[in-house]
Amino acid sequence: MRGLARGLFASVVLFSAIAGGVGCRAAKAEDTGDTLIVGAYSAPREAFEEAVIPAFRAAWRRQTGRDIVVRASYLGSGAQARAITQGFEADVAVLALDSDLDKLVKASLVAPDWRARGGGSSGLMARSLVVIAVRAGNPRGIADWADLGRPGIEVLTPNPRTSGGAMWNLLAVYGAASGDLKAKSAAVARVVDNVIVMDKAARESLVSFERGIGDAAITYEQEVHVARRAGRRYDYVVPPVTAVIDVPMATVDRYADAHGRRAAAEAFVAFLRSPEGQALLRDFGFRPATGPLDLPGDGRFLAAGHPFTAADFGGWKKIAPELFAPVTGAITRVLEATREDHEASR
Amino acid sequence: MKPGRAVLGGAVVGYVGILLIAPIGAIAWSALSSGPAAFFRALAGSGGGFALLLSIGLAALAVVVNTVFGVVVAWVLTRDDFRGRALVNAAVDMPFAISPVIVGFALILLFGPQGWFGGLVRALHAKIVFAVPGMALATIFVSLPFVIREVGLVLAESGHDQEEAAYTLGASPFGAFWRVTLPNIRWGLLYGVLLTTARCLGEFGAVLVVSGGLAQVTETGTLFVFRSLEDRRDLGAYAMALALAGMSILLIVGMEILKRRRAGANPRQGGALRIA
Amino acid sequence: MKAARATAGALSLRVVAVAFLGVMVALPLAAVVGSVLTGPGGVGAALHALASRTARAALWLTVWTAVVVALVNAVMGTLTAWVLARYKFFGKAILNAVIDLPFAIPTLVTGLMLVVLYGPQQVIGQVLAAHGLRLLFAPAGIILSLLFVTFPFVVRAVEPVLMDIDVDQEEAATTLGSSPFRTFVQVVLPALRPAVLTATLLTFTRALGEFGSVVVVAGNIPRRTLTAPVYVFGAIESGEPAAASAMSLLLVAVSAGLILAVDRYTRARARAIGVRV
Repeated sequence: MRGLARGLFASVVLFSAIAGGVGCRAAKAEDTGDTLIVGAYSAPREAFEEAVIPAFRAAWRRQTGRDIVVRASYLGSGAQARAITQGFEADVAVLALDSDLDKLVKASLVAPDWRARGGGSSGLMARSLVVIAVRAGNPRGIADWADLGRPGIEVLTPNPRTSGGAMWNLLAVYGAASGDLKAKSAAVARVVDNVIVMDKAARESLVSFERGIGDAAITYEQEVHVARRAGRRYDYVVPPVTAVIDVPMATVDRYADAHGRRAAAEAFVAFLRSPEGQALLRDFGFRPATGPLDLPGDGRFLAAGHPFTAADFGGWKKIAPELFAPVTGAITRVLEATREDHEASR
Repeated sequence: MKPGRAVLGGAVVGYVGILLIAPIGAIAWSALSSGPAAFFRALAGSGGGFALLLSIGLAALAVVVNTVFGVVVAWVLTRDDFRGRALVNAAVDMPFAISPVIVGFALILLFGPQGWFGGLVRALHAKIVFAVPGMALATIFVSLPFVIREVGLVLAESGHDQEEAAYTLGASPFGAFWRVTLPNIRWGLLYGVLLTTARCLGEFGAVLVVSGGLAQVTETGTLFVFRSLEDRRDLGAYAMALALAGMSILLIVGMEILKRRRAGANPRQGGALRIA
Repeated sequence: MKAARATAGALSLRVVAVAFLGVMVALPLAAVVGSVLTGPGGVGAALHALASRTARAALWLTVWTAVVVALVNAVMGTLTAWVLARYKFFGKAILNAVIDLPFAIPTLVTGLMLVVLYGPQQVIGQVLAAHGLRLLFAPAGIILSLLFVTFPFVVRAVEPVLMDIDVDQEEAATTLGSSPFRTFVQVVLPALRPAVLTATLLTFTRALGEFGSVVVVAGNIPRRTLTAPVYVFGAIESGEPAAASAMSLLLVAVSAGLILAVDRYTRARARAIGVRV
């Protein structure tokens, strides 16, 4: 009995020590002097962790003489926006589309004039293109969105409810199709019928593709570049008509001010827009936030052709409710109908 | 009779082999085929060490809380009689009924900025959701029933006589508990603790909803596996998966040994849940 | 004096127990119920969300896969318990230990294992694909992962009953000329019925709420491979609280109802055989 008591007591002490130690460590990580919390969508992960954040820390040290710890969370854009509005106290938000950022404005976390404070870049960090990733050598001969609708082709794209990237993907298919809303919806339906996995975020979707699943993945050009850096070898196709992806970012005013980190937050945002930051982003496949989209001198990038922007369709303010509103959005309806429904309405 | 037995036995072994052993073997092979050095590097790198510690820490906390209160609840359920006891009994089983994502959702409903206690949390400058406390609450919830059920079983079977005898001999209630009850329930208690720990190490759905996904801050072992897959660090994912599963498997082996001892002390076997 | 102290002690224990469960269990449940009643749009919005085709399909998929899994487990679990209880063979201890493994393995890891084992980069996956069979990202994958995580329930419930059963009855039946199969069905099975029944219901309940393995293995395509818990997750992540609340409450109500039924049945039986419960 003595032994048991001692054993129990020792276990309780040990357990409590572990629990307390871990808890303190976790708490301490937040309270360190200069800290910055970034809430990002899934794609910029490598660009930030491997290049941008270390370079920013060096620049901050040069500027202020102090060290700074930057912690970033990477989730699907919709999921990240949700997390930030529900209490994840990020100082800077980098999301996949500006309607997700506007969710933060609606929650009074970001000032409504965030676009204007970009110094001419209208709130963007960078741009990219919606492309189609295919197996090396393009064995299925995929060249355009219509090819994704061919029978037997298996397609990957993330779920637009949680992934901003998915919304860009489907907008590209929709926008590239000709005809009225019904014809465009039908074009989207043909592609959606071939989708076999809907991951939560853009990154997960591409990783699934790399595991050998599916014939093609609708993705960002930027993501393919990152995959290449990681040694993955596959090709991608830029359809003749596709969407330009605008990647918005903003200081999360409410949290940055509450934490007293506004200076650091704005410095981070400014750094991303600076020539140094933009060059680093380009190394990871992002196209510049301003200026021409094509980079003819840079052999890493394919020709962009004549893609359209969200603004051509009225901006996400108009697109999000029209196409993606729950239940009533045109693309939502396509997603919620089955293959049988699509075929019946053709 | 013999060939029939062989067929049946073979069918069962085959089923178990394909369903259980093959997948575990696949993960073990994937994690270890690059050698032990690569395994440990992948496990510890990129915040894996912290994630593992956080998982263990959360499990430790849940064990402490659920053991202390669990024994009380088990005692009350088996030794006491009052109106509403059936309700208390039903409440204990609820965590089995609730999907982990709903647990996370409920925590946000309670402690998120628009939640029931949102104002209170803000006023106290506390951080519950998207921070470790919220994950702790989720972990405690999902592992709540184990100690209660296992200790309850033992208490129900062993009867009140020994404690009564101790009371008549002048022992205080706490003394009787410490000297009479505790030794009686120790195997059940330990069994419950092991089940609790295994469950906590494996928790995923609830912490996925409630954690902010910040590496080295709010990332558990399971979340680390999830992130590693996205970071294209497959080996890291497999290594952590094997580590988590391996720790729990060791606990299982411990459970088996305890079961044997209990079979010696109490002629009752098996049953991770109180069923029939 | 001692009586008064004992009662005060008992009362305070009761208070502690009720308070603990009240905070840890009742409060979250109340929050889910409350979110449906008082959320934006109230009960109407909740019902509307549940009526959507995606929600209904998710519910149907979840329920039918859970039923399949419960039935398969009822059979295979009983057979496995039979083999464990009645047979002696080399490696039985290993089989015994393996059965509890699903309790030890995180559900996410279960899903990951299945993707590693049956994915297109593995031999098995390619063989299946060649035959046009899809295991992953299809209901078959969901069922497979559910079978894994629920396997121990029936086995561990039936095993003790089998060990307690009086073997004499079976021997008598055999002596009287009954075939082994008939003996099993007419002598053994009735004794096992309560255990199998309750464990099968618990399997069903567990399968209803499974998330970690399904989200990795299923593909999560609305109306095709999207289950109810993954639907809830999507609703939470995309900021549709009404849909999340509604589906959560429905799942909780069904599972809780089943668990309560199992509870009452178990206690009634226990009372019948005289065990204080």
